[in-house]
Amino acid sequence: MNKSYNLPSAANVGALESRFGLRVAAHLSEQSLQLGPDIGERLRVSREQALQRARTVRATQVAASGGGMTSAGAAILGDPGKGWWVTLGSALPLLALLAGLLLIQKWYADVQIAAAAEIDTALLADDLPPKAYGDAGFVEFLKAPRN
Amino acid sequence: MATDKELSDFLKSIEKRAFKRALYAVRNDEAALDIVQDTMIRLAEKYSDRPAAELPLLFQRILSNATMDWFRRQKVRNAVLKNFSDFEGPGGDGEFDILEALDALDGSTRQDGADEVVSRSQIMVAIDAEVAQLPTRQREAFLLRYWEEFDVAETATAMGCSEGSVKTHCSRAVHALAKALKSKGITL
Repeated sequence: MNKSYNLPSAANVGALESRFGLRVAAHLSEQSLQLGPDIGERLRVSREQALQRARTVRATQVAASGGGMTSAGAAILGDPGKGWWVTLGSALPLLALLAGLLLIQKWYADVQIAAAAEIDTALLADDLPPKAYGDAGFVEFLKAPRN
Repeated sequence: MATDKELSDFLKSIEKRAFKRALYAVRNDEAALDIVQDTMIRLAEKYSDRPAAELPLLFQRILSNATMDWFRRQKVRNAVLKNFSDFEGPGGDGEFDILEALDALDGSTRQDGADEVVSRSQIMVAIDAEVAQLPTRQREAFLLRYWEEFDVAETATAMGCSEGSVKTHCSRAVHALAKALKSKGITL
């Protein structure tokens, strides 16, 4: 008398367990729909609070990711959200400003040198008054080696 | 990244089941509501940038953690450890034939009306009570697997255990429920 043909296989047991589990779950779902209105309201309020919090977090993340930074700030501080060339492009106005300042400084120095040279040339080319040889500074000037 | 609508729809779809799961664990409406609220806010704060498909698993994990946090706060760790015990013996489960219970289930679909001993709402209350009496890990595995419809791997991830443990917990839970319901004359 072998009764083993009555025993379900392991796969069948698994399937039977799943069927039973899903039926119990269906009853639980049906029951969960019958929760009181006060609980439903509390859950709704919780959900709204969570959504509001999510919006706040997203807004903070957008601001932190460079939305509030100027191009010059991004050029100086770096911006991980942009590529190297974009960062370099943002730095170009700053470099142009520095180059302009250097050129202006050089031009101003050249103008001053030219003006001084013009005065010196005029003085040296003019007739020298005899009293000049009595000036100690002029004597020293004459004694100084010429380049 | 999940949109506002996706996040809202997801929370709406899961909030009642989450409340019931928390309620099974803490057996207190207010505490369960607090846990669900805490879970929703943690999800929104830390994981709202994740794709919508990842939200269910993350939510279940956070819900479990929030429930554990509640127990820690209540300083009833000993009671929790007792409930979390996975060392319950077979208790005669081996002698119980689930096929018999399912045969009864199949038969129940044909029994309607006057033959039913208890009303539908009473059946639901009884099922609810039996699920609540399951050991915590068995109940978690059972609810995630069959109510949340996670597969074994997802359930294992949510519970932080192996797939083998999930199968064992689910099987024991199903057998315990089938046996308890059958003993009450409930055929679903």
